[in-house]
This record gives sequence, structure tokens and C-alpha cells, in this order.
Amino acid sequence: MAKKSSSYVDLKTKPVPEGRHLLEVDDLKMYFHTQDGIVHAVDGVSYTLDRGETLGVVGESGSGKSVTAMTLMGLIDMPPGKIEGGHVYYRGESLLDMTEEQMQHVRGNDIAMIFQDPMTSLNPVYKIGRQVGEGLRLHRGYTKQQAQERAVELLRLVGIPNPEKRVNEYPHQFSGGMRQRVMIAMALACDPDILIADEPTTALDVTIQAQIIELMQEMQEKNGNAIIMITHDLGVVADMADKIMVMYAGRPVEFGTADEIFYESRHPYTWGLIRSIPEQATDEKKPLTPIHGNPPSLVNLPSGCPFAPRCPYAVDICHEKLPEHHTTETGHYSACHFADDPEFVKFAPDTSRSRGKIATGTPDTLDDTLKGGEA
Amino acid sequence: MFKYIAKRILQFIPVFLGVTLILFIMQNVVPGDPIKLIAGERKLDEVTERNIRAQHGLIKTDADGNIIYDENGDTIETPMYERYFTYLTDLLQGDLGTSYQRGTSVSSIILQKYPYTVQIAIVGIIIEAIVGIGAGIISAIKRYSFWDVLVTLVTSLLVAMPAFWLGMLLQLVFGIWLGNVTGGAFSFPISGVAGPLAKYPDWMYYVLPAVTLASVSTAYTARIMRSQLLDVMNQDYIRTARAKGLSKGAIIRKHALKNALIPVVTYVGMDFGAMLAGAILTETVFSWPGIGRETYVAITQRDWPIVMGSVTVIVFVVMIINLIVDVSYAFLDPRIRLGSSKNEG
Repeated sequence: MAKKSSSYVDLKTKPVPEGRHLLEVDDLKMYFHTQDGIVHAVDGVSYTLDRGETLGVVGESGSGKSVTAMTLMGLIDMPPGKIEGGHVYYRGESLLDMTEEQMQHVRGNDIAMIFQDPMTSLNPVYKIGRQVGEGLRLHRGYTKQQAQERAVELLRLVGIPNPEKRVNEYPHQFSGGMRQRVMIAMALACDPDILIADEPTTALDVTIQAQIIELMQEMQEKNGNAIIMITHDLGVVADMADKIMVMYAGRPVEFGTADEIFYESRHPYTWGLIRSIPEQATDEKKPLTPIHGNPPSLVNLPSGCPFAPRCPYAVDICHEKLPEHHTTETGHYSACHFADDPEFVKFAPDTSRSRGKIATGTPDTLDDTLKGGEA
Repeated sequence: MFKYIAKRILQFIPVFLGVTLILFIMQNVVPGDPIKLIAGERKLDEVTERNIRAQHGLIKTDADGNIIYDENGDTIETPMYERYFTYLTDLLQGDLGTSYQRGTSVSSIILQKYPYTVQIAIVGIIIEAIVGIGAGIISAIKRYSFWDVLVTLVTSLLVAMPAFWLGMLLQLVFGIWLGNVTGGAFSFPISGVAGPLAKYPDWMYYVLPAVTLASVSTAYTARIMRSQLLDVMNQDYIRTARAKGLSKGAIIRKHALKNALIPVVTYVGMDFGAMLAGAILTETVFSWPGIGRETYVAITQRDWPIVMGSVTVIVFVVMIINLIVDVSYAFLDPRIRLGSSKNEG
């Protein structure tokens, strides 16, 4: 594993240009050209992210959350994928214009990613230490010995007991939660600016989920990296994210701070997601309210608002016209025709009453954990 | 691990008894008297025939080797179970019996013939491993390219083609036509083996038989390699490797190949066992004096001791190769721990 060419300048050392953000995604469009037609997997996603921030990306399966992240990383095979528009800037450099070789420097080094299923995301035939240290050997030119030593430290950092011994074990000797810790250690090995976590807790036990999220937050406090947390569970990002983007059918339908999304939501789809968060066991047992129907096919999107067929409040205009983003002064936007209508927003679920109950974390500490909510 | 190997070796015993017993029964069912066949079209005189039968234990004799007669003055045929028991006890003493036709010991015949089979099997397996695995990798990496289509077409053709026919085709093209085209300057030998009096350089004798022997399994190896590599490339851990910033080449070399090779190594290993069992068709087409051709000739002559002896050796070799393949699995795939309670049996 030779060190990458020395002429390369580590992007992480480059300061973020004045007035710019660490990561800027602007109207990104990624379509897949398939035999059935063009799949509008990501259709106009925009957000910004700075160091130390956490962005939650929430939506159902097939809403384009993962594809957005994979596009940033340059991990989408093209073809069939094709970037149809938009820009992605990392420290002012356009990621979409980089060559494959340049992107290899960015991947793992500047932007790292962990995946949903830790059971299959580790190579079964190599020892844990080798896999954790691989990025260091590649990006930092560590020797085998150095990489191994650093791997032990990283494993200890993510809370794996007895790391000196575990580093020489194989993935099948680890439990699911431990493997996800290994994935986190692997992702953080090169001290990346951005950690993208694609449903990191979905495949795990509920008790382990909270541990993994806590670990990610703890590492973020230590390293100051940004996190993009992709999940279908609004509850997971509730006590973790600074900003939340709700996606539906490849489009962002609502974007705002975590507080804005939870307490001042102005989109019926977000309301549906909030209503479907199970509350912690209380005396009164209330049934969950599901969002009826299925997400639309991304090949033949309905004209008008893509959520209209499932929206209990849809009227004629919803089926005819694609709603614009209605943006408030704080940057909170909602893609609903009636987002600015105070009468309509009254339909929103009453989250004020259940404050603290909607989160997966401990009930009464929600306000403290929603740090930097106004970012 | 040692417990596992010991257990597997113990399992050889019932397999071995089963195979030899079936063969023993079959040789009594197949028409044709092996002793009468010794003289070919002529007839053996009765005394000689009786003595030969006694010599091979086909009729009962006393301890001094004198033939025992019943009350009618007829010889008494040795029952099959007794002969099978004799075969087993002799085998335990390292005696494979004596050929009916040649009167020489079967062990010496096998010792003389088997090296030829081993030679051709080694050349064949090298061709299979290099060409098969190489073609499979190229085919998978350059999926849907010209090379992929070519590999797919050629492998389909080879899989469908009987080996003996391919052998004859190769003899015609590389032995006869090539010789004619180059004015006799260059061609491959179409039969026989290298030796001090041979017309060609030694290595040339191996080419056509080894290619023929390896043809079908090379095609299968290429196909397995291709599908395995394509399958592995879609695994989550390959995505993890990409997310780490590894180049495509490094991903294939370091992460994909080792995983994709596990089933291929099994196939090639098992196939080596099959090649060591002798290729009756290929060896016959190329007059290759290996154990396969020897077995074929022995069957036509009903020379059962040679058939039994060859099969005995082949069964042992194949069982040992299979055991080696199974054990090597544990080294290739860390998830497999031989002898643990989960993998027993």
C-alpha cells in the first residue's frame, strides 16, 4: 500500500474560504437512467454543513437519502447514475468536478462513511486491525506496524474491550454492535471532516442503538467533525441533529433546525413522521398513526406535489402544481403550498405537550442535548 | 484440527469398502470369462486353464496349492465373499494381486503407469488454474466487453464439447494441419510420451493431452471465477473499501479476489483429484500410457485385478485430495473452524 503521490495537498489543511461552508450542496440532481425510464433519485437537494454540526436526513426507504450521500462520496456507478445538475463544494472545492483519483484522496480521508449493516460491511477474510488501519496506510503512509498500533488505540477509543487481543480477530468474532464500533473506528481513523452515517443503527438492537449514537456524539465532541446522519427514524435524530432535512421522493420537503422541524413543522409529511414516532411507555396507551399508502415510483412521479396522493389535506392545487419552497427568515423551508397559512399549520401534531417524549434519549434532557439548535 | 483429520480418515474406511464391494460384485455380473480371454481366439487346454484359475484363487485349493475337487471330480469355485476377503487381507499387506493377462503384479503395473497420469494431471491443473482463473477475472472486470463476450462464448463451447472429440480435433489441427502448413517444420505430437527416442522435445508431448484434459474444467473454472467476482464486487464490504478511498485495482486485488477465490480453489482442488483419477477418454485418444488407459484396456480384457488395483489407488488419492481441499478451506476462510461443534461431520 504505497503512499499516495506526494504532490497531493491534503484538502483538510485548506481553510474554508471566507463566507463559505465546510460542505455546500446546491440543487443536486442525480438521476438513474434505467430500462424502465429515468429514476429521479435525487432531485434538487440543497444544504450547508459546518464543522461540529450534525445534519439529520430523514425519509422513507427510496426517498433518496442514501443516494444523496453516495453522490457526495462519488460512490454511485455512472452509468446508470448521472448527475443532472447542481454543485457540491467541500472547503470551496467542487467535488463533482474531481477526477476519480482526486476523489480517492477525499474518501476516507476527508469524508468518511459508515453503513447500515455492520454484519456485512466488514471483509470476512481480514483481521479487524488490518481493516481499521488500511485507511491510515493509504492516506497517511503508515507502516504496517504503525497502522496496527493506531488501530488498537482507535478500538480502545470506540469502547472495544481488550483491543490488543481483538485487533487480531476476524469480523465474525464480533457482535453486531461491536462491529458497528469497528466501522466507526475505521471511519474516524484518518480524522475526517465529515462522517456520513447511513442508517448506522437500523440493523442493531434497540439497546445498542443508543450506545452507537452516543459514541458518535462523543467522537464528534473530541474531533469536531461534522456528521450527516441518514435515518428513516425521526426519533433517532431528535436529540442528535442540529439541522434536519426531511426528504420525500428524492426531494427535500422540509428543512430547518431540529427545533423548527419538531415544534414548528409546516409540512404534512413531517407531521406524519412525527405522529409515527412511538412515545415512551406511559399510562395512556395511544395507537401509532401511520402514513397511509406507499411512496411514489421515482420513474413516473405524479404531477404536482409528490406527497399529494397520500396527504390527508390535499386539495386540487396539490395534484396540479409542484409546491415551491416557502422559506422563513431563519432558513426553515417547507415544500407545501399552504406552509405560510397559519390556519393550515394548526393541523400540525401537538408536539409541545409531548416534548421530551418523542426523543429516543432520556425524556427530560432533550433541551440540553439539542445543542446549537439555532445554527 | 487433528481430531477432524483423524475423523475424516476413519470415514475413508466405509467409503472405500463401499466402492470396492460394488466393483467386486460388478465384475461377477459383467459377461466374459477373464481366464478364457487370456488365450485370445484360441482355446486353452483344460489343465492349463485349471491351473491358472487355481493360481488366481478362482477355484479352491488346499494349503499346498493343490486343487480340491468335489465328489463329481469338478473344481469348486471360490465364493465371491471369500475372494473379496482375500483381496482385502492382501491389500492390508500391500499386495494388489496379479494380472490375469500378464501374470505380473498389479502394484508394479500401477507404479509404472501412474506417474504418467500424475504428470498430465499436474500440467492440466496448471493450465486450468492460470487460464481459468485469469479468464474469469478479466471477464468479470471488463464485464460486457469484447473479452467478456469472448470468454463466455468459448467457455460455453468447451463445456458442451466432449473431451475426446476436442482431443481428436486438436490432433487434426496441431498435429496434422499445422505440420502440413509449415511444411513439416512445426507440429505437435499427436500420441505417445516423451522418451530418449522421441522425435519431439519432451514438453511438446504434454501440450495436446493436457489441454484436452483441462478443457472442460478450465471453462467451468472461468465461469465460477467470473460469477464469484461479480458477486463479491456487490458485497457491502467492497463498498466499505471504496468509501475508504481505495482504488478499483486495489479493491479487486486486496478485498475481492481473496473472497472470490474460496469457491474456485475448492473446485480446482476437487478437479485435481478427478484428474489424478485418470482420464480414460483423453489418455485413450492420445495413447497416453497412464492409469486411465490402463484401466480401459484392463476392462476390455476383463483383467479384474488391474481394474481393482487401479480403483483402489484412485479411491485413496481422491479421498486424500478432497481432505486436503477441505482442510485448506479453513486457511482461506477464517469463518470456518474445522472440528468445532458447528462444523463437525
